[in-house]
Amino acid sequence: MNRPMGDQDNIVIKAEGISKSFPGVQALKEFDFEVERGEVHALCGENGAGKSTLMKIIVRDYIEDEGNIFIDGHNVKDLGIRGVQELGLSIIHQDLNLIPMLTVAQNICLGREPVTRFGTIHWKAMRLKAVEFLAEVTSEIDVEDRVEDLSIPEQELVAIARSLVTSPRILILDEPTARLDHKTSDEFFSFLERAKQKGLTVVYISHRLEEIYRVCDRVTVLRDGSKIITARIDDLPQTELVKYMLGREITQQVPKERVPIGKAKLSVRDLFPKEKGENIHFDLKSGEILGIVGSIGAGKSEVARAIFGADPKQRGAISIAGKEVKINTPQDAISQGLALIPEERRDQGLVGNESLRKNMTMAALKKKFCVGPSWIKQNQEIRAVKEYIRALAIATPSTEQEVQFLSGGTQQKVVVGKWLMSDSSIYIFDEPTKGIDVGGKYDIYKLIVDLARQGAGIIFISNELTEVLSLCDRILVMFNGQIIKELETEAINREELLFYVMGGRDYAETANNA
Amino acid sequence: MQKQPITPKDIINNYGATFAFIVAIVFFSFVSRGFFSGQNLQNILVQSTSLGICAFGLTFVLIAGEIDLSYGGVIGLVGAVLAGMLKEGHSIGMVTLVCLAIGLGTGLLNAILIVVLNLPSFLASVAVMFICMGAERIYNQGITTWIRDPEVVSIVQSQVGPVPAGVLYLFILFVICWFLLTQTRVGQYIQALGENINAVTEVGVRAKLLKFMVFVVAGLIFAFAGYIETLRIGGAVMYAGKQILLFVLAACFLGTATFKAGKANFPGTLIGAFFLYTLLSGFTGLGMKFYLVPVAQGLVLIISVAISSVRRGKIEQVQF
Repeated sequence: MNRPMGDQDNIVIKAEGISKSFPGVQALKEFDFEVERGEVHALCGENGAGKSTLMKIIVRDYIEDEGNIFIDGHNVKDLGIRGVQELGLSIIHQDLNLIPMLTVAQNICLGREPVTRFGTIHWKAMRLKAVEFLAEVTSEIDVEDRVEDLSIPEQELVAIARSLVTSPRILILDEPTARLDHKTSDEFFSFLERAKQKGLTVVYISHRLEEIYRVCDRVTVLRDGSKIITARIDDLPQTELVKYMLGREITQQVPKERVPIGKAKLSVRDLFPKEKGENIHFDLKSGEILGIVGSIGAGKSEVARAIFGADPKQRGAISIAGKEVKINTPQDAISQGLALIPEERRDQGLVGNESLRKNMTMAALKKKFCVGPSWIKQNQEIRAVKEYIRALAIATPSTEQEVQFLSGGTQQKVVVGKWLMSDSSIYIFDEPTKGIDVGGKYDIYKLIVDLARQGAGIIFISNELTEVLSLCDRILVMFNGQIIKELETEAINREELLFYVMGGRDYAETANNA
Repeated sequence: MQKQPITPKDIINNYGATFAFIVAIVFFSFVSRGFFSGQNLQNILVQSTSLGICAFGLTFVLIAGEIDLSYGGVIGLVGAVLAGMLKEGHSIGMVTLVCLAIGLGTGLLNAILIVVLNLPSFLASVAVMFICMGAERIYNQGITTWIRDPEVVSIVQSQVGPVPAGVLYLFILFVICWFLLTQTRVGQYIQALGENINAVTEVGVRAKLLKFMVFVVAGLIFAFAGYIETLRIGGAVMYAGKQILLFVLAACFLGTATFKAGKANFPGTLIGAFFLYTLLSGFTGLGMKFYLVPVAQGLVLIISVAISSVRRGKIEQVQF
């Protein structure tokens, strides 16, 4: 590019005094932001800090109330979505916005289909184009497959490939690794490395400190819609960064606390979930937090759902407190004191357009708040809900708030509250901290440790090894439907755990050979 | 990735309604007297024309992720105006233009209500249906009007070679619709629109305008269906649209169980339309009492949909 060199010319995105409010919320307040050419610039902040709003304004999904944005010196005020794309900007949203029914090739070329001279779609050219862009990211996906037949991590890679079609010079990634497993995130990071070498500028929104420190050059921290700091990543220790994000100091990200472990609470023998998994054996004691880890598709959720009776099982015996029990439906599980806090809380755990109160008392309603067959003792119900709102520090304007308007972390707490009310004694948490900000995570960890202290048995399913290592007493590693390893947390480190998660067989031996 | 070999079970699961359709044809050929004759099969095709054409219009709208039931009124209104204006001595060319204008108008009305004013498509299009039915009643005073001019009627009733003209129109429209949807950019965007409107907006396509056009085109196709239906019968019967209201809907949703897609599609809709009339003809030919035919039709539909495990485990439902 033939441009005069100069400091200003080195700025590819410049936002000046951006303000944006939605009914009842000031999402951004006089926000200034600069991204330099060729850097990977991290954008950090808790959920609701304004990161996504800022990005949506930059790509013209939203229009700011005040302020100006320049991309390569062009004011984007009058440009539409297509206009900023022509300036070289491309974004990968959190919701991937792929079309499930169409093929990978159709999705990658959507909006830019090659056409023949008759105006019809040139299928061969489309295929080649898709192959070309997909190859930048991965070599494992067939462009003729329908997107709905791909796994979620694969879909993410397709979305990334699609964003390259416009040959962007600036790429905005909104939590790209949230949906990736270990294998695909390797592919992703090597793609990012290559892109950076080619001079691509990247704005990187992420909750994962480890990644930010691995790939980013500079970081901007937001809190409550205002900029707190922009700094070189090397000049900002992790603890400082977290402090800026939270506005308070958190000495430890995860509460490390061991509570005394009691008698056997749950034992699973010879379980074959119908969906995926074979020959699952394990015990859980009271006060124990048992981690189950494994990459996406390893069968963790399937085991949880089979135990809970949510999915059918081929065979298997489940005993609670030494007595064998029959669990064929979630109702059976609940009456035995089991609780499952599912991964997809919006789909499986909550009724979005109902009030917080109704959601929270849903499981315990019959047992606790009913007279006769269905008369609800509402005063008592409201009192109990208020108590739990206090105990769990749930941020809500009232008990009647519709849960769909609460933040992700708050919703998770509502689901947990629901099961606390039903007096469960065995809790299965399936990815409880997924997509939740640092402060919210901390509250959930604390809650889980509290439950364990009261003598409950906890199964904690997660993909984030760091949290598993600091929270759990014991860890089961699943790979391809089987439990391949049982580990005492005290005795292992992160690398060893990751080795098994990725399907390794014998860590000590491999380490010696290396 | 390794491709799985296809088993007979897969075929039944993926093409359940097609399979049932073929079984039905074979079955009736053996047991129903006169079913498998050229004349009868041609009758089935002829009877399906207006239903099929109308169902193509609805298929467009369903693929774009909405619903449009206004055809229940448009077909009757077009029929009444067509027969009435001919009787008053207007030329067929003039009358044809007026019929298309009615389709354009109702299509625009739907588009404005649903896309611009954001009303739910079910409610808005049913309201337009009622308005059209009212207009029809006002126009023809509730009287059936016959078309006496053989030349006009021959537009649909004549033969082009061995093929009845009406059936030819059906197939021509099918090819156009299918081609537009699967081979052009606009078709890709309409498919994408029904799945995820954000994805289409994000790549810079004017998704709302596209949806607007889908309703307008559907309106035109509905008017065309009413035109064909009236000329096929040779007159305008009161509330002709209401008669086929649910048959059209059934043809489209049967179509979702016809091919692997699990979603409204043109070949599926075409087979769905033929299937419905095959059952009608076949059961009637068996000497079944006329009031039992709908029962038998209903049972066959349930079975054919039930054996196909449509993708995502469910048939697309109308969303209100």
